[in-house]
Amino acid sequence: MLVEGFLFAFLFLFLSATSVVYWLTSHDPTGFTVLLLSGGMSFIIGYYVLFTARRMEARPEDRDDAEIAEGAGEVGFFAPHSWWPILMAGAFTLTTLGLVFGPFLILIGGLALLFAVSGLLFEYYVGVNRTQAETLSTVVATGNSPTSERKFLGEDH
Amino acid sequence: MTLIESAAPPVAGRRPAPGFGSKFVKVVTTTDHKVIGLLYLCTGFGFFIFSGILAEIMRLELARPGLQFVSQDQYNSLFTMHGSIMMFLVAPPLAYGFTNFIMPLQIGAPDMSFPRLNAFSYWLYLFGGLTVVAGFLTPEGAASFGWFAYAPLNDIIHSPNLGSDLWIIGLVTSGLGTILGAVNFITTIITLRAPGMTMFRMPIFTWNMLVTSILVLMAFPVITAAFLALEADRHLGAHIYDVQTGGAILWQHLFWFFGHPEVYIVALPFFGVVSEVIPVFSRKPLFGYKGLVFATLGIAALSMTVWAHHMFATGAVLLPFFSFLSFLIAVPTGVKFFNWIGTMWRGQLTFETPMLFCIGFLLTFLLGGLTGVLLASPPIDFHVSDTYFVVAHFHYVVFGTAIFGFFAGVYFWFPKMTGRMLNDRLGKVHFWTLFIGFHTTFLIQHWLGDIGMPRRVADYKASDGFTTFNTISSIGAFVLALSTLPFLYNVYVSYTRGEKAVGDDPWGYGNSLEWATSCPPPRHNFVTMPRIRSERPAFDLHYPATAAGRTDVPATGELR
Repeated sequence: MLVEGFLFAFLFLFLSATSVVYWLTSHDPTGFTVLLLSGGMSFIIGYYVLFTARRMEARPEDRDDAEIAEGAGEVGFFAPHSWWPILMAGAFTLTTLGLVFGPFLILIGGLALLFAVSGLLFEYYVGVNRTQAETLSTVVATGNSPTSERKFLGEDH
Repeated sequence: MTLIESAAPPVAGRRPAPGFGSKFVKVVTTTDHKVIGLLYLCTGFGFFIFSGILAEIMRLELARPGLQFVSQDQYNSLFTMHGSIMMFLVAPPLAYGFTNFIMPLQIGAPDMSFPRLNAFSYWLYLFGGLTVVAGFLTPEGAASFGWFAYAPLNDIIHSPNLGSDLWIIGLVTSGLGTILGAVNFITTIITLRAPGMTMFRMPIFTWNMLVTSILVLMAFPVITAAFLALEADRHLGAHIYDVQTGGAILWQHLFWFFGHPEVYIVALPFFGVVSEVIPVFSRKPLFGYKGLVFATLGIAALSMTVWAHHMFATGAVLLPFFSFLSFLIAVPTGVKFFNWIGTMWRGQLTFETPMLFCIGFLLTFLLGGLTGVLLASPPIDFHVSDTYFVVAHFHYVVFGTAIFGFFAGVYFWFPKMTGRMLNDRLGKVHFWTLFIGFHTTFLIQHWLGDIGMPRRVADYKASDGFTTFNTISSIGAFVLALSTLPFLYNVYVSYTRGEKAVGDDPWGYGNSLEWATSCPPPRHNFVTMPRIRSERPAFDLHYPATAAGRTDVPATGELR
């Protein structure tokens, strides 16, 4: 995971250095701010990735001698199909149209958005498609994600 | 008796073929990255056709002096919508379509990290795009302030029409979809690679999409916020872009801080496509893989720092800083050309349609890049700013990358997407009409700009001396439009009864992992996966004698 982290670290260094040079040469507040913020975003992602990389052993996808079998096991949960994305996008569009056509649409769209977001979030935790509730209680009880055993080999050492 | 005989008994366990309704529901509720990829490609191409028709109306109007077909106001709407649809609703979605379909296959992932977020991104893009286009249905017509919507032209006094508002919020919606898509791509590339697929074994297309997604994360939030601030100005009485407080320049800075990386968001994915196609038809590994990766990174980093070269003519930006960095960006781009040519050098070249489109890309983008170097020099930029020279320049850049690259990718990956090959002869007809049409349209516009024709005008006088050049350009534009017909026919014929793709790798020399699974791939992409020991695992699988890391099989002779 180190390469991914260094990628963002490089962008952070380059953009912050450029923003300083730009400020000293131009005194333009707009460009300076957006450059600095872009550097800041790279810092957040890069720091998180490097922070995580330090706390785990190299994953099979980080080692160039790994065999495919090392990735065996549960990869994660992938929703097979879902109505909620299109409903959520529709609700969002309705809300933004409210900015043009009037506040009543913002109200309707906002409620629809709340409904759709809840639907998407709880789709696999309640109702007929409930498959993830066990996983959720495991996470709450142990504070670990179910895949943590595989992904964070180094934690118990 | 005959009745009983002819009635076929129902076959146990076999369901009737799904009707239109269930197919429709399946597509609407899909979270399969391959289906979403195809949706992106089809929608993007639909917007491409629509926007192309707008362009043809403009070329029709400009073919002769005088106003024959549209009014000045309608012409303003036409060029505004043409530009914004192409830059927001065509080029990035086409790249996203390829990425959705191909990238998880290339890194050996079963799907995207967030399948439902992926579907959400697509629907936001579709609904946002339709909102933008809906401007044409309003009484005062669509947005008409140019695709960069300069302040104060974009305020409520100068552009009071509903179409402008629809344009702004439609782009906010589709922009959110683009941002979420980029988040999904980055997460997938970081977390879902197959064992052994280290970063420096990832295919260049995947690398380029990773870098593009990072650019999206830096550029799109800025423009989305700027658009929402503009709405606040227009409807809530805010004064963010007031002329009295320097709002005009503020808008230009914010717009181009997005607008310049956007050019690379459009270009980098298709650099990736070309980097995938050229080695396959040169029968050689990519020349200078790491150089290409670092060149992409260099372009991405520099592209964040050159936005104000679009603002040279304002006289309010730091010329040496932006000029120097703009010149500098030619270096990594040159490295890329060096690598592509190095890949072809002494290769066993064959010129199937995807390769032809790559050659078309190289020629066209080279010219666009060279005029770009000219425009990075302020004295030249002052002279030709806002003329047809700039129009020619950016069409060479964005058409050269996005459209040539898109068609190269479609011909290349069509068998992977559908299980059938596109017809090569029709493909060649398509390429040559497109290539000739494009260069007839836009090459002459360099001279048109040089003799002084400004962009964004609906009319000119016969005494201006622009007539011949404009007529030639318009003829080219119609050849370009006609070139789409053989393509559409080809897709239809090949999809329904085209030649079946043979095996996992119909091109015979495929490198990356998508050529190690069936055409089309199963729902979660791989039944078995080959060992990954180099940046071309599928090639190693199909040609074990030359595979990286293999010592048990003796290498025999030269590979043909």
